[in-house]
Amino acid sequence: MTTSTQPTRSDRSVLVADVARAAAFVAPYWPLTSFVAVNPLGGLQDRPFDDATALARRWFGARTHLSLDSYRAEHARGAISDTELDRSIRRRLPWVADAPVLEIGKVRFDAIDVVRWDLVHGPVDEPAGPTGSTLADALDDVVTAWCATYVDDAHVPWAMPDRSLGFYRAWRALAPRDRRLAGLIGRDGRERVASLPDDPVEMLDLALGGRGIGESDRVAAIRTYLLRTPGWAGFARWCDDWAPADREGVRLRMLDLAAVRAALDHVAPEQLELQETDASPESFTARIDAATSAFALAAPSDAEREAVAAVIGRVSADDRAAIWLAAHEVNFRARLLARLEAPRDGSKVAEDRTSPGRPDAQLIFCIDVRSEGFRRHLEALGNYETFGFAGFFGVPVRWRPLGSSIAEARCPVLVSPRHEIAELAVEDDHAYLAACSTSAGLHDAFYAAKGGIGSPFALAESAGWFAGPAAAARTLLPGRAVTSPGSDAGPTRWWKRRSSAPRTAPVIDADADAGAALHSGLTLDERTLFAEAIVTTIGLADFAPIVVLCGHGSDTTNNPHASSLDCGACGGAPGGASARIAVAILNDADVRAGLIERGIEIPDDTVFVAAEHDTTADVVTVFDRDALPAGSLAGVDALQRDLDTAGERNSRDRAARLPGNPARVRDRGHDWAQVRPEWGLAGNGAFIIGPRTITADHDLAGRCFLHSYVAERDPDGVALETIMTAPLVVAQWISAQYYFSTVDPEVFGAGDKMLHNPVGGVGVVVGQSGDLAVGLPMQSVMLGEQRAHDPLRLLAVVQAPLERIEGIILRNSGLRQLVEGEWIHVVARESEQDAWSFRTPSGGWEAWSNADVPAPAAAAAPLLTPLETS
Amino acid sequence: MTTWTNLTAMAKIEVVVDGDDVPAVRDLFLDAGATGYTAVSGVSGFGHHGHHQGKLLFNDRASLSMLITVVPIERSDALIAGIRRFLDDRHGVLFVSETHVSRPDYFA
Repeated sequence: MTTSTQPTRSDRSVLVADVARAAAFVAPYWPLTSFVAVNPLGGLQDRPFDDATALARRWFGARTHLSLDSYRAEHARGAISDTELDRSIRRRLPWVADAPVLEIGKVRFDAIDVVRWDLVHGPVDEPAGPTGSTLADALDDVVTAWCATYVDDAHVPWAMPDRSLGFYRAWRALAPRDRRLAGLIGRDGRERVASLPDDPVEMLDLALGGRGIGESDRVAAIRTYLLRTPGWAGFARWCDDWAPADREGVRLRMLDLAAVRAALDHVAPEQLELQETDASPESFTARIDAATSAFALAAPSDAEREAVAAVIGRVSADDRAAIWLAAHEVNFRARLLARLEAPRDGSKVAEDRTSPGRPDAQLIFCIDVRSEGFRRHLEALGNYETFGFAGFFGVPVRWRPLGSSIAEARCPVLVSPRHEIAELAVEDDHAYLAACSTSAGLHDAFYAAKGGIGSPFALAESAGWFAGPAAAARTLLPGRAVTSPGSDAGPTRWWKRRSSAPRTAPVIDADADAGAALHSGLTLDERTLFAEAIVTTIGLADFAPIVVLCGHGSDTTNNPHASSLDCGACGGAPGGASARIAVAILNDADVRAGLIERGIEIPDDTVFVAAEHDTTADVVTVFDRDALPAGSLAGVDALQRDLDTAGERNSRDRAARLPGNPARVRDRGHDWAQVRPEWGLAGNGAFIIGPRTITADHDLAGRCFLHSYVAERDPDGVALETIMTAPLVVAQWISAQYYFSTVDPEVFGAGDKMLHNPVGGVGVVVGQSGDLAVGLPMQSVMLGEQRAHDPLRLLAVVQAPLERIEGIILRNSGLRQLVEGEWIHVVARESEQDAWSFRTPSGGWEAWSNADVPAPAAAAAPLLTPLETS
Repeated sequence: MTTWTNLTAMAKIEVVVDGDDVPAVRDLFLDAGATGYTAVSGVSGFGHHGHHQGKLLFNDRASLSMLITVVPIERSDALIAGIRRFLDDRHGVLFVSETHVSRPDYFA
């Protein structure tokens, strides 16, 4: 073993920099309490999609595209046509246009015919699985077990000692007594572990030096250490780069995680491959043989085989996957754009919209794909105008609910909230707060007893009389069961129901709060600025007497991934609080006066109303009804009736796509045995930025994010730049998470939900041990063997001047990487009278034509989810 | 010529990086012994990679940020070595200059 020598200060600093560079390859993983959809290849997003996925296949041993068989199944049922395949072949392999004609068996074939045959019929070449020894896998399990122990202070009788020293030092203190580790590394292992340095940087330096890793290979070696446990590495990346500075609990650092894995590599002869290696050379023999036989029928000549080899030998496995994916995307793009051009599915909304006059109400929903169906049904019921806007309604704040000392961010994770808003009772709240305190005490006592060593037996004896019937009720009557104090549906809910909640209001005025010391609120200038941003970014004008800001959330039980169904724009939380805050700002008389100075006049009779859409039950709840002016109540009541009807209709649509009893579709969230309370954002494929007139009355099957935008009201392009650099980016993260969770549910998804065990209060593992399972559960994207999501890269559809869009892409490097790296595709047109153009990855725009898709057929073809098309 | 007789000479290190790299640079500062730093987000300008957009309304990560720290000169070499290494394969620039401070104990 190499003797430890202390690195110099500069050496230490350089090594820490190498850890940071290696860590950049890892995508962050948010704790489940605030689940945020991320691109699992986000650490590679500065590379083109094709390069990043090629690296992911090598580093993770993962699948990054659907299998060839799956693509072929899509082709067989018409979801990918030969024409679309040819279009993708020509784009990916432009040389086919100039390749010589093949003459085989006296029949002439174009090169593209051979490539297409190989794609549709050629032998399958699947990527090799991950490499690693049994010992390496066992040591990975040791690391994951210690990670879980280190971060967990909620589900263990006592916490790991010395956690404040950091993960490496805390582990280092206990590792010599780790019997499991000793069993893996031999009898003298404990002594070797005991002799390891106390400092993580020295440990890394020692381990890398011992393996003969030079400076040029260090980043690759550290990356290998980290990617042995990508789930925990993702959590460490979150701790390092994204966790709030005032977050309670320990911080798992990348440096410590790498040092622990390096220590195990140092003391065990596991033969981890630490240096960068080239991809394995690809063999084309089987594919060439198969194609030759197919075209030549029998006894091909050498010349014929060589001619085939000259084509097939230039089409790598990466090319095949890329062509299939592109063809699949072209199909979706063609269907969607044809759909937008087609006669509308209904006529009522179009008539209402074209008729002059003020709408009875305007409703602003989140851009979430689940809003699309609900909006469509609501619009059909009356003179309503709906809009799409990010569900935090442009107010990036931290929200502190009544009685809580903790404020949580309610905005996209791309934004660092600088303001805090507290919820304050406007009537006596003493009884309620006392009930909350009692409930929280009960909850803590219940879980303390449940998590103890001997106390669970006593708990069963003492609380079984209550818990048993409650469990039976929840099982047999999930829709009516009362939330028990031990459930995960909220520690205070059960007890709070016994004491009516007081009326409350968000404290938005910082000046008014000066005496209350709540540290809550915004200045008048800030409130006015936010109000202006909301109105102009949406393109809101001609205000209706009632304007509803409707957030969304999902009420589900026994669901560790519950927050994945909440609002992504609110940081994985329900959007009701954001709606209430924005409404309070927009109803503020001083703010309205300030808006007039900025050229925005909201009529005196316009009242803003906050609401929240429960996407599992399809129920919209209107908040703070008591605070509304009497004159608006009749209108709100009428609207509520239509919201109820729209919810019923939308739930019927959703029931058609969900398994089980359609009549119980709205109860699924309360069923604690339900692994699929709703489909969430499965099926998402496009992000449409434009006025509602281009999508209204079209059934888009819940596949599109809809962001309202009126280019004429945004002459300087500020609103569009905001949309394309924030909501579009968040949508791309969501899209990428669904994509990769679908193509490889084991590596990029969270696997089978039936086997999940919550761990460390931050995530789940599949089974009893192993790495943190990142991504979405299989049940979120699959129905048995059937896909519920089409893994496609997000398509941005924008109605705005092309030069405006181009300027935004060029001056925002992150967005430019997404577009030119082909993580997203962009099609755009200036107005409804213009044809669509496609933004090419190399820059510039080219005309998009649906010519390959017969217009009447495409227009008639519904935009269905994979479940419906199969 | 100006003389700063009662001030202490120190090294001022300024780094301009992508918003995503701010936490890593922050940690490099602190791991190398800096006692604090100042961060300026939404830095706009024109440079090696063309025009950089400044502050965006709802994305604090997409624009450039500048991080500034001051350390004793004898401690600066290690910090600079780490930053230079970090910038080996990413966008960003590093400026080092001598500065003078009135409260050296704040930075030691």
